[in-house]
Amino acid sequence: MFLFSCGQQANKQELKSENTQVEALSLTVDQLLEQAPELADQQVVVKGTVMHVCQQGGQRCFLMGSNEDITIRIEAGEKIGAFKQEQMGSELEIVGLLKEVKTEADAHNPGAEHGEMENAEDAETQEAHKILAENQEAAERVFFVEGVTVKEL
Amino acid sequence: MSPAEIINYFSSKNFEHVKIRKTLRILHRDLGYFIVGMTIVYVLSGIILNHRHDFNPDYKINIENFDVQAGTPQDYPRSRIEDVLDNLPYDLVYKKHYVNDEGLVKVFIESGELVIDPQEGKAVMRYLQRRPVFFEMNKLHKATLGTLWKWVSDIMAFILLFVAISGIFLLKGKRGFVRWGWWWMIAGFIVPLVFALLFI
Repeated sequence: MFLFSCGQQANKQELKSENTQVEALSLTVDQLLEQAPELADQQVVVKGTVMHVCQQGGQRCFLMGSNEDITIRIEAGEKIGAFKQEQMGSELEIVGLLKEVKTEADAHNPGAEHGEMENAEDAETQEAHKILAENQEAAERVFFVEGVTVKEL
Repeated sequence: MSPAEIINYFSSKNFEHVKIRKTLRILHRDLGYFIVGMTIVYVLSGIILNHRHDFNPDYKINIENFDVQAGTPQDYPRSRIEDVLDNLPYDLVYKKHYVNDEGLVKVFIESGELVIDPQEGKAVMRYLQRRPVFFEMNKLHKATLGTLWKWVSDIMAFILLFVAISGIFLLKGKRGFVRWGWWWMIAGFIVPLVFALLFI
């Protein structure tokens, strides 16, 4: 019983500390990318317009900053499940863990899904994938967010 | 216990005596009824998802290419864009728009997007419509509904596994597992095994 209570206490403290951190780090996509090296591996809140949702399953989406050259990939993860195509153009606020792409497993080549090309890709999707791939290539270090919660603004 | 001993045990009168076979039959029957709905969801969505590279399994994608009045991006404020949308044969709702570096007006609409090239006087619209029933079944199949559904579908999968395995021991005699069923079971293992060996 004692251990159980202690465990709960610890969890509450952890949650409180996470919430404090969340409030402190609410950022636009532009701000997040500017501060990304310092914020890597921390929980962040980022707001932006959904520019693209991966067509097969919606496992990830891309939030756009002040223009379409400034984007960040958001992985839906288990808690969010999937993004919907209907969310394109919506303002989302994502709480998640900011991570840097260090391995092939972290990377996502827009246009490829689960290691396979989206064969039935239309011109608009190809264009979106081209922009996103160019953004990633232009960046010295690539970051993405592992989403935990999503809120439509 | 060796595999032969296990099979002999389940085929023996002792097995009958402890009524395990009867219990299995009841569980197989009732859980079998219970799992029908889930099996249909997984089978139908599984077939659709197998063909995901031939067509989008979740959405019907409507693409319309059409001409618009040529001009500059500034000639396309929200009111003008909404007029363009009103002339298309869908119930389209404007969300927001922006102009990119190439001078294209990119418009987000509910369930789609519209790209206007004012200089060329061309536009292309992409509008998605959910495939009724299949959209929901595919989401269930892919377990993209969050943590709770993941565990529920795991439990359902174990029930399906139980129904399959308990079915092995239901019949005895000439058409029972020992004298007949195991051939079929091995054949069922061989099909995926061949593909795995040849193509993986």
